[in-house]
Amino acid sequence: MTDTKTWARIKSPWVLHFNSGACNGCDIEIVALLTPKYDVERFGVKLEPSPRHADVLLVTGCVTQQCAERMKRIYDQMPQPKFVVAIGACACSGGVFEGNYNVLGGVDKVIPVTAYIPGCPPRPEAILDGVVKLLNALNPPKQKKPSKQTEVPKQEIKTIIEEAKPIVKQ
Amino acid sequence: MSNNKIDILNVVESKLGSKVQIQPGHLSTGSIIANNGLHREVLKAMIEADEKTGIIAITGLDLGEKLGVYYHFRTSNALVTIKAEVPKANPTIQTIVDIHPGAAFHELEVTDLLGVIFEGNRPEGHFVLSEYWPQGVYPLRKDVKANEIKLSPPQETNKPAEDPRQVKIIIGPQHPALLEPEKFSVTVDGETVTKVEPRIGYVHRGIEKATESRTYLQDVYLVERICGICNSIHAAAFVEAVEKIIKVDIPPRAKYLRVIALELNRLHSHLLTLGHAGLEIGYETLFQYFWRDREPIMDLIELTSGNRVYSSLMAVGGVRRDIKNEDIPKIKSVLKTLRGQLPFYRQIYTSEPTLRLRMKDVGVLERKDALELSVVGPVARGSGVDIDVRKDEPYEAYAEIPFKEIVYKDGDTWARMNVRMDEVEESINIIEYVVDHLPSGPIKLNLPRSVPAGEAVNRVEAPRGELFYYVKANGTDKPDRVKVRTPTFANLPSFLKTAIGESIADVPANFVSLDPCFSCTDR
Repeated sequence: MTDTKTWARIKSPWVLHFNSGACNGCDIEIVALLTPKYDVERFGVKLEPSPRHADVLLVTGCVTQQCAERMKRIYDQMPQPKFVVAIGACACSGGVFEGNYNVLGGVDKVIPVTAYIPGCPPRPEAILDGVVKLLNALNPPKQKKPSKQTEVPKQEIKTIIEEAKPIVKQ
Repeated sequence: MSNNKIDILNVVESKLGSKVQIQPGHLSTGSIIANNGLHREVLKAMIEADEKTGIIAITGLDLGEKLGVYYHFRTSNALVTIKAEVPKANPTIQTIVDIHPGAAFHELEVTDLLGVIFEGNRPEGHFVLSEYWPQGVYPLRKDVKANEIKLSPPQETNKPAEDPRQVKIIIGPQHPALLEPEKFSVTVDGETVTKVEPRIGYVHRGIEKATESRTYLQDVYLVERICGICNSIHAAAFVEAVEKIIKVDIPPRAKYLRVIALELNRLHSHLLTLGHAGLEIGYETLFQYFWRDREPIMDLIELTSGNRVYSSLMAVGGVRRDIKNEDIPKIKSVLKTLRGQLPFYRQIYTSEPTLRLRMKDVGVLERKDALELSVVGPVARGSGVDIDVRKDEPYEAYAEIPFKEIVYKDGDTWARMNVRMDEVEESINIIEYVVDHLPSGPIKLNLPRSVPAGEAVNRVEAPRGELFYYVKANGTDKPDRVKVRTPTFANLPSFLKTAIGESIADVPANFVSLDPCFSCTDR
């Protein structure tokens, strides 16, 4: 049963995004992840509006005084086991806003953080990489078996991408 | 237009000449020192003479013994600052909300951050700061240190009993429709919205105060991080204001390179909003289409500046990075592809029946209200008010570049989105013109790090409207005061007005048509 749960969690992590005082830079990159160029939904990552359904909390931005209490409440509402990913320099440490009168600092001042993704803002690839690393850490691969069915030859990938390019005409 | 010839300082001088002190040429068009409640008389005279008189910002300053309250106003052809001072011991001044309703939020912000009390516009609780913030401590005063503030839990207050028929719907701070944390309490009677109460300040990071403890060089990066979407524009507005204090003219090539960065910002911001509007009305395909076509623009920003989001291109005295000649064909080809997609998007926005049903006649803002509330940018231009800083007070190289000012008269959500739709094409035109006419020469002047004492105001046209900066220098390498008034802060009152009387289902579409950005609003 535990194996099944872990399998489901890793194959389809539902993420909740909370902005605790960010400048929109990281937030927009998270949204960019969901759109056609990066499209994380094909890996099963789904943006979830409710904390009660989410596995992973993506936090962007330094924690402002007003957001701290709210973020704590959202974290408490999430079911166990839960993971927090701090995205961007501000969420990791407070960034350029560290020491301002309304800023408490990084996310780890308020809730425990599982993974840190630095950058101002981190590229969408970096965010994706961070989430994948987090998931791999939950279930380290026992033995790598290259599956013939899922492996697509490189040549084929190229043609798929080329075909996907022009969609709209006039 | 005929009223472009009004000399607003002459008008004020002829009416109140002996009572106020006028300094022509100081802070853009001129500043008027009006103490003892005369600021109201000056404003009345200005509104009488020019219907386009609108408030840009109210800057609160700590001047030692006194507190300065600077009202910045725009008219159809000028930027006028009315300076008033109040003693620190009894900081009260009469409100101007009864004369000009658009000033309400500006006054509340000054009250919260500097402790100036506007008689007739008292806030209930905090406006920007946290509920835990101690009473009587005002962060923008010079004697307040960030690390000495002790927070205390808020006191319980007796709330008035509410009408049981009226249901309160809380949107935010964490809500799937809002990318950012902000709270709106929408009161509904049945399905009709009767009241909207905003609570802003969730993203307030105290950037204005932070600029005072950093050097000008550091501040360029700090103000850039006010907003991740229109970052180049914030940096450009700040460095231009500093250049105005130093009184230096940057090289022509730097001006053109800045225009490229500013317009790329506008392009990606407008595409983002046009897509986001699709998401809010349940048209997710449109959202995905727009965001797909936005990615090449992000690649162009990376190509020209080295970074996808924060370009960090602006520097006092010019720009940091030049464009290579071999990159120009790449820029042109990306823009050409985007231009090829535009007829499809325009067709969706003008004639798609589902989109028209959700947007036409939703959130109508009349021209009269738009002027009274001093809204800016696409919101004003969608209501038939032709204000665009690029045309009214050209900065950088905009005076030399041909482009059209887009104005729609309908005033509804549909008109506001179509202003953006048309501006995407204008931005493409501008960038194409600029890369074809790039002058040669240096891209940056070497300037000393200290800035001579002085003050300057500057405004630029951000994607969301007029962005205003006030910078005061004291002769050192750190500024004395930086005031930022973002377009989203100016546009917020229009939502509170247009949402009332409409269906709750129209709130998201109406709201997104303002292009909300709370990191800008709160700073």
